[in-house]
Amino acid sequence: MGFRMRYFDLKRKICDIRMLAIRGIAEAGSGHPGASFSAAEIMGVLYHRKMRHLPDKPDWEDRDYFINSKGHSAPGFFATLATAGYFPPEEMETLRKLGSRLQGHPVRYTPNEVQSVPGIEFSGGSEGIGLSVSIGIALANRLDGRKNHVFTLIGDGESNEGQIWEAAMAAAKFKLHRLVVLLDRNRIQQDGFTEDVMPLDPTRDKWSAFNWNVIEICGHNVEQITDALNKANEMKDRPTIIVANTIKGNGIKHMTNNPQWHGKAPPREHTPILLEELRSECFIAPSIIAGQQENYEEKIKNAERGGADIIHLDIMDGKFVPNTTFFSDTIKQLRRITTLPFDAHLMIENPLDHIQDYIDARCDVVTVHAEMCNESQFLQIIDKLLSNGISPGIALNPSTDIPSWLYSHLRDLDVILIMSVNPGFAGQKFIPAILSKIHEINQKVRKHGFRGYIEADGGIDATIVQKVYEAGARIFVAGNAVYGSGDIHGAIIQLRHKVNVALERKLLDESNAIGIRNDWLKTRKHILIPLANELGIEEELHALK
Amino acid sequence: MLLSNEQKKSDMRGAYGDALVELGTDNQNIVCVGGDTTDSLKIKKFGDHFPDRLFNVGIAEANLVSIAAGLAIGGKIAFASTYAAFLPGRCLDQIRNAICYPNLNVKLVVSHAGLTVGPDGASHQQLEDFSTMRAIPNIQIIVPADAVAARYLIRSISMIEGPFYVRLARPASEVLYDDNALFKVGSGNILLEGSDATIIACGLMVSRALNAAKQLKANYGLSCRVVDMFSIKPLDAHLVAKCAKDTGAIITAEEHNMIGGLGSAVAESSSESYPIPIKRVGVRDTFGESARDGEIDALLEKYGLDTKDIAHAVIECKKRSKK
Repeated sequence: MGFRMRYFDLKRKICDIRMLAIRGIAEAGSGHPGASFSAAEIMGVLYHRKMRHLPDKPDWEDRDYFINSKGHSAPGFFATLATAGYFPPEEMETLRKLGSRLQGHPVRYTPNEVQSVPGIEFSGGSEGIGLSVSIGIALANRLDGRKNHVFTLIGDGESNEGQIWEAAMAAAKFKLHRLVVLLDRNRIQQDGFTEDVMPLDPTRDKWSAFNWNVIEICGHNVEQITDALNKANEMKDRPTIIVANTIKGNGIKHMTNNPQWHGKAPPREHTPILLEELRSECFIAPSIIAGQQENYEEKIKNAERGGADIIHLDIMDGKFVPNTTFFSDTIKQLRRITTLPFDAHLMIENPLDHIQDYIDARCDVVTVHAEMCNESQFLQIIDKLLSNGISPGIALNPSTDIPSWLYSHLRDLDVILIMSVNPGFAGQKFIPAILSKIHEINQKVRKHGFRGYIEADGGIDATIVQKVYEAGARIFVAGNAVYGSGDIHGAIIQLRHKVNVALERKLLDESNAIGIRNDWLKTRKHILIPLANELGIEEELHALK
Repeated sequence: MLLSNEQKKSDMRGAYGDALVELGTDNQNIVCVGGDTTDSLKIKKFGDHFPDRLFNVGIAEANLVSIAAGLAIGGKIAFASTYAAFLPGRCLDQIRNAICYPNLNVKLVVSHAGLTVGPDGASHQQLEDFSTMRAIPNIQIIVPADAVAARYLIRSISMIEGPFYVRLARPASEVLYDDNALFKVGSGNILLEGSDATIIACGLMVSRALNAAKQLKANYGLSCRVVDMFSIKPLDAHLVAKCAKDTGAIITAEEHNMIGGLGSAVAESSSESYPIPIKRVGVRDTFGESARDGEIDALLEKYGLDTKDIAHAVIECKKRSKK
């Protein structure tokens, strides 16, 4: 496996993929947003974390191959190639236009092919063919003694094609263990839901019966995708299919799970609002030291089941803060039970001395306190983290401002954690003055090239989370709000609901500002109706009918 | 170049198998994909020599040609072979989108084309492949008339980058060429010179065209030129125009539906370059039927593809010719 891209860097790249895809589709006036969005994480993880490939040398003979068999996800595929450096992202604006290199469906690249961009191995568009082609590539690689992989994205609608099953038989016959299929199981095809048009379930059993190694995951969870791809690597006698359960249109709420958006473009004037929505991805990060129960494994499992995005780990040394919690050895134990990203918040003295322990414990995000390091130490820390594919973060106590030396390093930083209580103990009240601090810091750091995420930590619950979101935070550490209640799942859902309401309000304001509020209300109606009361738009929505 | 009237028989499929083994010996990148017909196509021999390089995918033609496309993407020269009824019959879209559109180095070599499949009947008698293949950009179409031609042309196309469709027949053909004969993709070979009319034929119809020419000479004193147009696409337009000009009448003969095949290609070409009367001999837009191996000549006669049908067409065409 090659370089491992940091969690938040990857999340940002995937956000870029969706934004580029929707800009291209809106500009073209046609295209397939649904399939581009359901497979965004799959393609993002492949190109940015898993595949061995060289954008400057697309014909490198030891490259891993990506075959986009479900060619209608072209906008997402093109966008992925653009984020990986195969062509300039601005070219997405030419999608589907006369004379463009970005055709309606991908075209295999050769140096004299003017209707294609480097990196495209296979001309997609006619469904059901790409898996067979992948078999041919894998056979050729094997004949040549190469150890590269072929990754093939297929669709569930596409699986209606009999050729998929011809190929399924053949790949097993030839024992192509370096062939990995990713099934974008979004359950929607052009005419409606797959199980109505042509049922595919029991999907796992079918592929198992065809002698494939089958792994089922959530296809929007980048850690699960990574983990499944790593497990596929271990197979030695058969091909692997990763059944990635996805949501068609994931990322834009009114497009999700709606067959109508399989192959329809949004109006161009919606683009700024859609981009805003895509930029607004939020993360709920339960902090496992909160609550009564001391069994961290149990707490993590409950948070995962409850829909947490990341796990916040408060490391306290009894020196920088009065309390002591746990250290890297505990994290090593916990790492085995989940693929959820670990967000380690080091409330310790001399973080540089200990940073390697948290790298070795396979944390995904490591945040150190600005009060505990100078610029030189911080640079050493950030270097170590970046070179190990870990997202670096810096934490600020309530009374600490951004150190002036940090401004020149913001581009490398993924997280700025702003304490909204004084660190050391769980169960404190959110300090209201922190809201304006979050807002100011967010404004300031964006101007200096910060592309990461603001994390708010301390006293966050359903009563305050909307304001914290509005101030600019996107990662919400929740301790007692999650573990203090008896209902972890319910608590996470409530937090997310509150954030969603704040998001809808923001998008409505945006639609107002660009003069399309009525149109936006209509487009978004089925999302807004359940929130109408909280948003105070009941009468407005009623008037639409 | 043309052999005398010895009536020796020649096995095109055997020649294909032999050529593949020769090519595979010289070049490790030659691979072959078969579809449960490897014995029949004589590619089993290739597999005996190079077990790693023959892939039998069973009765799955769409998969067969698409795997060949993948092998070509992986840098191989991929031969894909099964019966003509099913390749291109069952995988036209894959040939179009997976092979021709990306212009991949895949050689589709099929056998058992035309009525002369015999006993298997109409389901197995491919009569529309020229028409469908001709209409797809990038692919070139080759129809050898005997084993020498087959062997030579298989070797030629392996050295030309890009997709080819090569159509072979099931029965042994008459031997038309000696071992030193030359063939060039995009050209036709004049097998017999003549000045009153030209018979342009391909595949098994070439020997019948020669016989027709002999009969016409003997019975009517007509001097017919006979062209083996083994390259259906690209068509030798220069030769077609020359024949039109030199002889004033062209008769085509093919084991294919009259719609869209060699006759259509020649008529299209000549009507744009040097319009003259043309008469086409082919299957008249109908399906064939079973016939035992001993009845193949009678089968061709029933469907209007006999020597006498060619001779008749020449006489009819001459009536309209101004020359």
